[in-house]
Amino acid sequence: MDILITGVGGQGTILASKILAYAYVIEGRNARTGETIGMSQRGGCVVSHVRAGNAHSPYIPVGGADLLLSFELCEGARRISYLKKDGFAIVNTASIIPVSTALGMADYDAEKITKYISENSNAIFIDADKLARECGSFRAVNTVLIGAACGLGVLGLSKDSIVQSIKKNIKAKYLDLNIKAFHSGMKTTEEMKEKCKVI
Amino acid sequence: MFAEHICLTANEKINDITRRVNDLKEILLGNTAIALGAVTAGVRVAAGYPGTPSTEVLEGVAKYNTDGKISVEWSTNEKAALEVAAGASWSGVRAIVTMKQVGLNVASDPLMSLGVIGTKGGMVIVVADDPGPISSQTEQDTRHFGKFANIPVLDPSSPEEAYEMTKYAFELSEKLHLPIILRPTTKVCHSSGTIEVDTEVYQYEPEGFVKDPKWVIFPPLSYRRHLEIEQQQKEISALFSQLPFNRIEGNGRIGIATGGATYAVVRDIVESCELDVTILKSGAVFPPPDQLYGEFLQRVEKVLVLEELDPVIEEQLYHIMAVRKIEKPIRGKLDGFVSPAGELRFENTLKIIEKFIGRKLKSVENESGMVFPQRPPVLCAGCPHRASFYAVKKAMRGKKSVFCGDIGCYTLGNGKPLEMTDTCLCMGAGITVAQGIKKAEPDTNVFAFIGDSTFFASGMTGLANAVYNGTKINVIVLDNSTTAMTGHQPHPGIGRTMMNTSSPKIDIFSVAKSLGAEFVEKVNPFEFDLAVKTVREASEKKGVSVVIFEAPCAALVKPDNVCAVEDCTGCKKCIREIGCPALTVRDRKVEINRALCNGCGLCTNVCDRIIRL
Ligand code: SF4
Ligand code: SF4
Ligand code: SF4
Repeated sequence: MDILITGVGGQGTILASKILAYAYVIEGRNARTGETIGMSQRGGCVVSHVRAGNAHSPYIPVGGADLLLSFELCEGARRISYLKKDGFAIVNTASIIPVSTALGMADYDAEKITKYISENSNAIFIDADKLARECGSFRAVNTVLIGAACGLGVLGLSKDSIVQSIKKNIKAKYLDLNIKAFHSGMKTTEEMKEKCKVI
Repeated sequence: MFAEHICLTANEKINDITRRVNDLKEILLGNTAIALGAVTAGVRVAAGYPGTPSTEVLEGVAKYNTDGKISVEWSTNEKAALEVAAGASWSGVRAIVTMKQVGLNVASDPLMSLGVIGTKGGMVIVVADDPGPISSQTEQDTRHFGKFANIPVLDPSSPEEAYEMTKYAFELSEKLHLPIILRPTTKVCHSSGTIEVDTEVYQYEPEGFVKDPKWVIFPPLSYRRHLEIEQQQKEISALFSQLPFNRIEGNGRIGIATGGATYAVVRDIVESCELDVTILKSGAVFPPPDQLYGEFLQRVEKVLVLEELDPVIEEQLYHIMAVRKIEKPIRGKLDGFVSPAGELRFENTLKIIEKFIGRKLKSVENESGMVFPQRPPVLCAGCPHRASFYAVKKAMRGKKSVFCGDIGCYTLGNGKPLEMTDTCLCMGAGITVAQGIKKAEPDTNVFAFIGDSTFFASGMTGLANAVYNGTKINVIVLDNSTTAMTGHQPHPGIGRTMMNTSSPKIDIFSVAKSLGAEFVEKVNPFEFDLAVKTVREASEKKGVSVVIFEAPCAALVKPDNVCAVEDCTGCKKCIREIGCPALTVRDRKVEINRALCNGCGLCTNVCDRIIRL
């Protein structure tokens, strides 16, 4: 199982990768992650790789990811080539406009980017920022997205293991908020799944 | 569309047995694994200077130092750290010192001599290399330093191996009476693996410092030791040929020689493409395991060498071929078959292997034609450096000026729209490079920006040089009360140590005064008009000036208000002038993103349609 998590420095992708990797360990599997730590964390592009199983190197090759968890719209599109043909993308619709775009040096066309993602993957779009804010803080985007992946049933992990891992990796002070965010994300994709089954 | 793809995985019930076993398994970052390895090996003194990708090693030691028995410190620079660790080792305790590769340049003076004098308590020097480079000035290869200083080098391929190697390195150091360099690269430092954690910590009674002429380096001693050390290299090489970190895997007639993190990439490719090759894995890379290299060369018909940074293993193989009169074709960096620069990842490594064996293995999908907006890193919203840069920019507008930068978050001041960093060489060089420019171009206003941590690491000597030699430069100290770039470590100016004890605060203002600067002033850069005025005044003085801009790093303070735009005309002057990431354009008007805005108020100095809420 290879999961690529992508976003903008400061959004909390590293914590998400830690929660997922530890959940696999709880279930008796080996996991490894590859992180972006350094200057990119100041608002640059960041990517975390989570690999459960027997891979030796930390980075998922292009065309190798089973799941793409994107914290930001454009960053999801940027890494879509990492997905396997039958892989899934869960994409936060919230966008963070880079300073280069504000300066008029590059275009950020959300509609075009969304279309590109849909055409190139099995993608689900959710407004994770909004769900996180509803749960108490925009910082909970990571647990919302993990919840969404869990609700979709694509992680190969039980809900209990993930919750246990969240408990281990998140400070007690923010725990309730994050558990709530996790359930909110999970509910969203479970409902989407129901609708699709009806169709 | 996705419904048909969904297959709900039957989640197995986790039973109590696996849970108990898994209690000892941890997901650890490579750097944290090294830290835990050191703590398990009974390290008592740990020192270092922060630098990506090495920083989390020392932080890990501090985290696992639950009973406070380990003395852990951020030293003022790498040279100081290495010397602290050497003294501890000479007193019989196990010691670790951590830094990034360019930090070892600073610490190379003690390193070279320590290779001669040697050690007593196990001493491990962790030096993180950064292929790419991703967060560094250079792509230098620390393995050369091992050879240069006759110090053994271990090169882990994964966090798991880094954990084992660290524990072994202390044993090896005590056996050889030499320090050991552990050289992880970014892919190991910043990736995590599943590690079975030891529960016992190595126990010992240190003998203490025993007076002996062998701790005083003098030419005759150096000569004697040189003879011994060269002899010892042969013994270590023989030992390394037996070590499990070095091994030959597989039986194919095609040979791939590799080491460090690239080994993991090669294994992934060999396994996923079911290649019949013989892999030489080099983990204890200096002195080279001659015996093992010879065996490998005998077994294969031709060799591809895959290693990041410099062709160290490759040159070692050529050497063995020459000595043992073996002739096998070798492809690698020396003949241009492999690029001399950059990382080796799955995709490019696969292409090199395909080219080497002459057939296609797996087609890797190419990136699409769509072009996405670039997202270079930027100073945070509310970063005090933005205000400082903008104040200097405004003060010097229309005057011939050069702005020398240094290493830290503020290197990002070179980006648009500030463009306030014209040079950057290495730690502390801003102040001294500025002096050279001033000497060559006396009619230019030359500024040097330096952070507070960098000032203590290597800025003070440069300032003394300017005063002593009478070179009129304008030093701007960006004092944000932390070492921000590497993740907010304390430093001598803060009054708190890494162990969270308080310490005397070394005051930059008093230091600058006593070093003899003519004009020294402290100002908050967000008191914008005063800041501009102070810079102007400083630049007009005849002697060396130092302006200390004091305001805490925005990542460490919670905003108590935010700003908003009223009736924006859409002129975008605010973005063109300061480029704060919280200023975003929607429908041709500028809005302030409340989730990002820090309420610093800098933008209110640009436009009066922006107000504080
Ligand atoms: S971390 Fe602090 S110093 Fe670095 S860019 Fe952000 S606010 Fe500025
Ligand atoms: S906020 Fe002010 S400076 Fe910025 S675009 Fe609007 S009117 Fe112009
Ligand atoms: S007040 Fe203005 S300059 Fe400061 S963080 Fe907010 S938008 Fe950026």
